[in-house]
Amino acid sequence: MASISLKNIYKIFEDGTTAVNDFTLEIADKEFIILVGPSGCGKSTTLRMIAGLESISKGELQIGERVVNSVAPKDRDIAMVFQSYALYPHMSVYRNMAFGLELRRVPKDEIDRRVREAAKILDIEHLLKRKPRALSGGQRQRVALGRAMVRSPSVFLLDEPLSNLDAKLRTTMRTEIKKLHKRLGTTFIYVTHDQTEAMTMGDRIVVMKDGVIQQADTPQMLYDKPLNMFVAGFIGSPQMNFLDAVVSIRDGEIYLILADNEINATPALGKEKRIYNYDGKRVKLGIRPEDMTNDAEYIKKNADKVITATLEVNEMMGSETYLYLDYSGEKIVARVNAPANEGEIALLAIKTDKIHLFDPETTMNILF
Amino acid sequence: MSAKEKTMLIRTLLYIILTVLAVAFLSPVFIVFLNSFKGKLFISESPFSLPDKDTFAGLENYFSGLEKTGFFSAFGWSVFITVFSVIAIVLFTSMTAWYIVRVKNRFTKALYYIFVFSMIVPFQMVMFTMTKTAGELGLDTPWGIVVIYLGFGAGLAVFMFCGFLKSVPLEIEEAAMIDGCNPVQTFFMVVFPVLKPTAITVAILNAMWIWNDYLLPYLLIGSEYKTIPVAVQYLRGGYGSVDMGALMAMLVLSVIPIIVFYLFCQKYIIKGIVAGAVKG
Repeated sequence: MASISLKNIYKIFEDGTTAVNDFTLEIADKEFIILVGPSGCGKSTTLRMIAGLESISKGELQIGERVVNSVAPKDRDIAMVFQSYALYPHMSVYRNMAFGLELRRVPKDEIDRRVREAAKILDIEHLLKRKPRALSGGQRQRVALGRAMVRSPSVFLLDEPLSNLDAKLRTTMRTEIKKLHKRLGTTFIYVTHDQTEAMTMGDRIVVMKDGVIQQADTPQMLYDKPLNMFVAGFIGSPQMNFLDAVVSIRDGEIYLILADNEINATPALGKEKRIYNYDGKRVKLGIRPEDMTNDAEYIKKNADKVITATLEVNEMMGSETYLYLDYSGEKIVARVNAPANEGEIALLAIKTDKIHLFDPETTMNILF
Repeated sequence: MSAKEKTMLIRTLLYIILTVLAVAFLSPVFIVFLNSFKGKLFISESPFSLPDKDTFAGLENYFSGLEKTGFFSAFGWSVFITVFSVIAIVLFTSMTAWYIVRVKNRFTKALYYIFVFSMIVPFQMVMFTMTKTAGELGLDTPWGIVVIYLGFGAGLAVFMFCGFLKSVPLEIEEAAMIDGCNPVQTFFMVVFPVLKPTAITVAILNAMWIWNDYLLPYLLIGSEYKTIPVAVQYLRGGYGSVDMGALMAMLVLSVIPIIVFYLFCQKYIIKGIVAGAVKG
């Protein structure tokens, strides 16, 4: 069993900086958890505390049934893959993988069996005699994974392992790591700043900002029901558009008054009781690029949900088009099927059942 | 003048300057080598001429030098002092540099600057006080001089190791910790092998200096334990008489080991000096 329990974990550095603030999370055995957030949000520090490479200022860390706050990294039954791979440059690939086992005095034939087995899985059997400097980035990454694998640890810690690879290799390795997780049936904790990696790989994603967990949930829930503007903006590419709006409830209808337009959101928001507290108040309207359309038929049917914006640039992506628009001074993006004329006024219908409303002061989602 | 011609001219000038410099550096060694085969009377008369049938003395100078200087004993002490001093310098200064680079606080910062400062203190400035202190502490032995060489060599060595260590990613050591290394194992199994190019450079630079050093062994242990430079000096007799033939022969013998050592390790010198300056 390798469930992990982080209870009210803090990391306060000597200069008083709080890198991780009251971090509480239960990670189930065999779960693939992603820690994601911008640079300096505390995700790597959290991972390093789990690894034992950083001390825990306050709180309790449990791996399995054991409190490991003061247990040395080597005794935590973890393995870590670093962003820079951290392979030993003077050792061959084989020795790099075998080193941890040699230190644990595992018998030589057992070491050989495990190294060759891992090398076979990772398709690096032909590289075993080479030194790390003679390997490509992708191969080094595999060796780093192999070094972790041979130890058969209870927990795999991965600190931005793909960020040094090119885009194509990153996609391939993403799939490889997912397959590896399924095959090994071990708990994985993966740190990244790339929301695409987070969305595609994890069972659960923990979004962090300034050392605080913003939301921890499944990728779909994070996308559909972000708890605050930060999560809403961080998850999704292109990111969610935010527009200033005022809620106006008239004759039982709910309107959102925008800078240049007014949209009727009654069908979508009518059942949301909390919206009635915001009558006459300012809110932030959040709408994802794909939840706006320039489809003429849709616009015709939903004339009371249309906004007008000046199209600045079309970005053709092949299967779809990104429209970069100026809406009364605010820059917004729409993901549509057909391009429009640049420099002209474009009509966009908002799918009101997909909108998010945020309190501008607390930035919290007022619908969930 | 076209750009190509200009480049050619610059290159030719450069070759000429480098050739002149090479001749200037090599000619003293060559002259010593040449004169070691001449009869001692002819060396002062015509030091630059090639040995001919009148002046050629065969290996006579070598045999006489070996006999007069107690060369083999001096060679043994030179090897002993050089080898142990270099081992001590490489081992202790690499550990010190590791500590300075990895433990960042005011103390290590101050320590680093003290080491760097020690590089600019000339030996002559501390010569007499140091010799006296060393004598009182019982360091006027071949073992004691190793400690003193460690002190004199530490400045440059710590400076070079620190420069290289700054470019070694900390993650390698963290990976070793997770793999199960204790700090001593991390140093000897992971950090020190990575430092190899710099360690070899430090070893060569210090070996050349210690092997050739005259003043410190002369002042400290010269009366009892003679190193090669000290022993060779004894070929200067009283009233200005010098056995030039034996002197030249002993000089040739004394430079051979250090040249061989240099030739074996020279490719690492550039590697070691550049290491740390450029991110790999």
